[in-house]
This record gives sequence, C-alpha cells and structure tokens, in this order.
Amino acid sequence: MARRRPLRQSVSDAPDERLLIEAAQRDLSRFADLYELYFDRVYAYIVRRVQDRGDAEDLTSTVFHHALANLSRFEWRGAPFAAWLYRIAANAIADRSTRLARERKIEPASGIEEADQEEAQDQARVFAFVRELPDDQRRVVVMRFAEQKSIRDVAEALGRSEGAIKQLQFRGLENLRARIGGKNV
Amino acid sequence: MSERENIEQLHNALEGVAAAPADLRTRELVAIARGLRNMPREDFRTKLKADLKEKAMATAAVNFIPKGFHSVTPYLVVQGASQLIEFLKQAFGAEENLRVPRPDGTIMHAQMKVGDSILELGDGGEQYPPRPANIHLYVEDTDAAYERALQAGATSIGQPEDRPYGERSGGVKDPAGNNWYIATQFGPQHIPEGLRTINPYFHPQGTDKLIEFLKNGFGAEEVGVYREPADGPIVHAKIRVGDTIVEMGEAHGPYQPMPFGLHYYVPDVDAVYRKALEAGAKSISAPADQPYGERSAGVIDPAGNQWFIATLLRMRE
Repeated sequence: MARRRPLRQSVSDAPDERLLIEAAQRDLSRFADLYELYFDRVYAYIVRRVQDRGDAEDLTSTVFHHALANLSRFEWRGAPFAAWLYRIAANAIADRSTRLARERKIEPASGIEEADQEEAQDQARVFAFVRELPDDQRRVVVMRFAEQKSIRDVAEALGRSEGAIKQLQFRGLENLRARIGGKNV
Repeated sequence: MSERENIEQLHNALEGVAAAPADLRTRELVAIARGLRNMPREDFRTKLKADLKEKAMATAAVNFIPKGFHSVTPYLVVQGASQLIEFLKQAFGAEENLRVPRPDGTIMHAQMKVGDSILELGDGGEQYPPRPANIHLYVEDTDAAYERALQAGATSIGQPEDRPYGERSGGVKDPAGNNWYIATQFGPQHIPEGLRTINPYFHPQGTDKLIEFLKNGFGAEEVGVYREPADGPIVHAKIRVGDTIVEMGEAHGPYQPMPFGLHYYVPDVDAVYRKALEAGAKSISAPADQPYGERSAGVIDPAGNQWFIATLLRMRE
C-alpha cells in the first residue's frame, strides 16, 4: 500500500505556477512551459484509469488541446492548474466511456479523484527521475519496463551483452529507489 | 549479498522465476519497475508538444498579426513610392490595399498585396532615408514577369535561366533601386515549401553573425544553411523567423549588402525588443503604443537591417 502525502502539500509544487499560466494566457507560445510541467501527471492520471496506452495517448492529446483552446477561460482562484487539467481529463474519460457503451462507465467520485490525482503526481515524479538517469541506465529502464522489451531484445538493440543489460536495469532501478526514497512499496 | 547476486535476484523476480522469496530491496525494485509500465512513450510526448506548439502559434497569430500579414513583411523605404506602386501593379499584378499620402504628395505608408504576401512601402525622409532591398519573388512564369518588369521600367540584372538548385530565375532592378530575384520552382508548385510569393533576401557581410543574432534575438530557427566549400562562407541560408522564412547569402561580387527595413509581428514586443538588444541589436525606438492600434519598437540588427517589431493592440471586447 502506497504511503500517501496529504494532497495539499502537492498543491503548489511550482511556486511560479501562476506566473507561468498568466504568461501563457498572454502569449500562447508559452503554453509549452505548462505542458512540460503537467504532461506526466495528466498522462499518469489517464493511463491508470483507461489501462491502454493508445487510449491514454488519445485522451492526453485531447486534454492538452482542450486546455490550449480554453486557456483564456482558466481563472486563478488559488486552485491548482493541475486540478483543472484533471477535471478536463475526467470529463474526457467519461465521454469516452459513454461512447464505448459496453465499457463500464466511470463516474468521477471526489474521494477517488483525490487519490488518483495524488497517485498520478507520484508516478509523474518517477517518470521525471527516469529521464534524469545516466543515459545507458535510462535507455535500458525505458526499453525494459516502459516498452516491456525482453533482456535479449534490449541487448540486441543496444549492442550490449545480456549480462550488461541486467546490470544496467539493476543500477537504474536502484537509482530510482534512492531518489524515490523507498516510498513505492 | 554481492552485487552480482543482487542483479540475478532482481532479474529472477522480474521474470517470475525466483527460487526463493525476494528480499525487501528486490521487492521494492520490482514495484518500481511495474509502475514504469505506465510511463509515456517519449516520441508521443515530443510529438504532442510539437502539435500543440503549432496550434498555439496558429491561434496566437490570429491575435497579434493583422489579417493578411505574416510574421515578417519587407518594408521598402524609397524615393518615388508612387512610381514604385505603379511598377508593382504593372510588373507583378500587385493590388493596392492602402495608401496614406503626406500633404506634399509623397507617400507616408502603403500596403501592396502581391500573390500571397503583403509588401509595405513609403517615401524616405530625413529620419528614414531610402533603403532599397533584395526580394526573392516567386511567380508562375518567370519569363513573363521578367518581361513585364522590363516594360514597366526595370533594368535587367540577369536573364531568366534554369538554375541547378531547382528553379528558373532572372533578376531586375526596379525604378526605385530594389532588386527582384524573380523565380519559378520546377514542378507542380511554383513556390518552394515554406516560402511565399515575397521573401526578403539579405546579402550581409558576416552571414553567420546575422543568423546568430536572429536565433538569439528573435528565437529564429535554421531551416537550411549551405556553404561553399563545406567549411567556407554561407552561399545560401533559409532562416525561419516566426512563421516566415528569410533568405540570405554572404555578400560577394555584385551582391553587396543592402540592409533594409522589415515589419516583424510578435506576441510580446517588449520581450522581443529586450532580447534583441541583448543579442547585439541597437535600438531605434523603445516599445510604445502607436495611435494606429499597434505597440511597436525598432532595432537595427548587426547587418544593418531595421526591424520594426510590432503587435496588434488588443481591442476591447
């Protein structure tokens, strides 16, 4: 069971979030900064609920396009921008379930919402840590666990021995564990 | 446990072939690995970012660029603007969008539509003396346009010929002294991808320095840079400034520097003005709201070109 931090602590993890939003509202080309900041969280939130990479990518794309088109309507009232994005995501997921009539309809309930948002933020942190790994470890970790490739396939793709790949996956995960602080179990 | 044993234990646990229950550390590593199944694909993350950037630019462009304009528009400051307007109409089928005369009959400001582009011009004065320019003009029929230009009063600077770089082109000097490189791309499209009917063309001394400035000052991107020989001077470069490609080639022979004026629409005049100065431009005028509904500023780049940085002022809704 994951140990959870209270959501409030994660509300303003970007101290200049408001400035970034206002900058993007004045100049849409600055939307890229918001994208960088929130992409992982939104994707993690969606993929946890739809459990399919293709659907998660479509929905993530929908969320950011909608956010870009409606950015001028976002009003800063102290609520985090992420909450606005999660709300767009929840609606997009609900729309999709309605369309796919045979799938179970996901009713966004506030209790579940909060837990999901926190979980998404935790996952997003791990994704960011992966990108900061030394290059060889990062490539192995991404291919092995994100892309679900076998040791043999990764060894072949990178031109390394299977032993070297096992060592890199170990060191990569060890590095992540040190960064996360063992909170994932 | 040695690192080798740890590595093997992790591998076995990941593969589900553990002989004995894994220790706590290994279980933590396996849990982290499982969480990474949900990691987004890097190429998806990058592509979506690019898509959004394109959409953002297209949406933003609607708001800060006047209708019909692109990011960069050549501004020809000449002696004899009225004659030039007539020449553009006769030679290149230009349409007159706007003409603002001064009391003495000279033209303060005019806008001509040429193909898919707008060209601005005006009579020079004490503050802005005439600065003829080089324009790369794409037309459907180079030979016909070349002939019409000569009939309208231009002088030839080069007969139309097929060029090894994929176009037929010739050149004329118009009555006001501007050089027009008239060209038609071979193939079904007479304008190469990314270019327009009218394309500003620079012949600076120090093309590398100008490109560096455009990148640092205006956030420009290199579309193509060709040197001859491979480590020699730049013979041709295409640089994207906003949504517009400007072309340039190092000054040589008859192609000597003719720095000219350009109107450059941006979302945030003050920010671009500041960055341009940091990148080595000299100020002509600090950002100020203009009575004609724009906020604008002026700078001179290291090659001597004058850039009038502007944005449409937001109208009250």
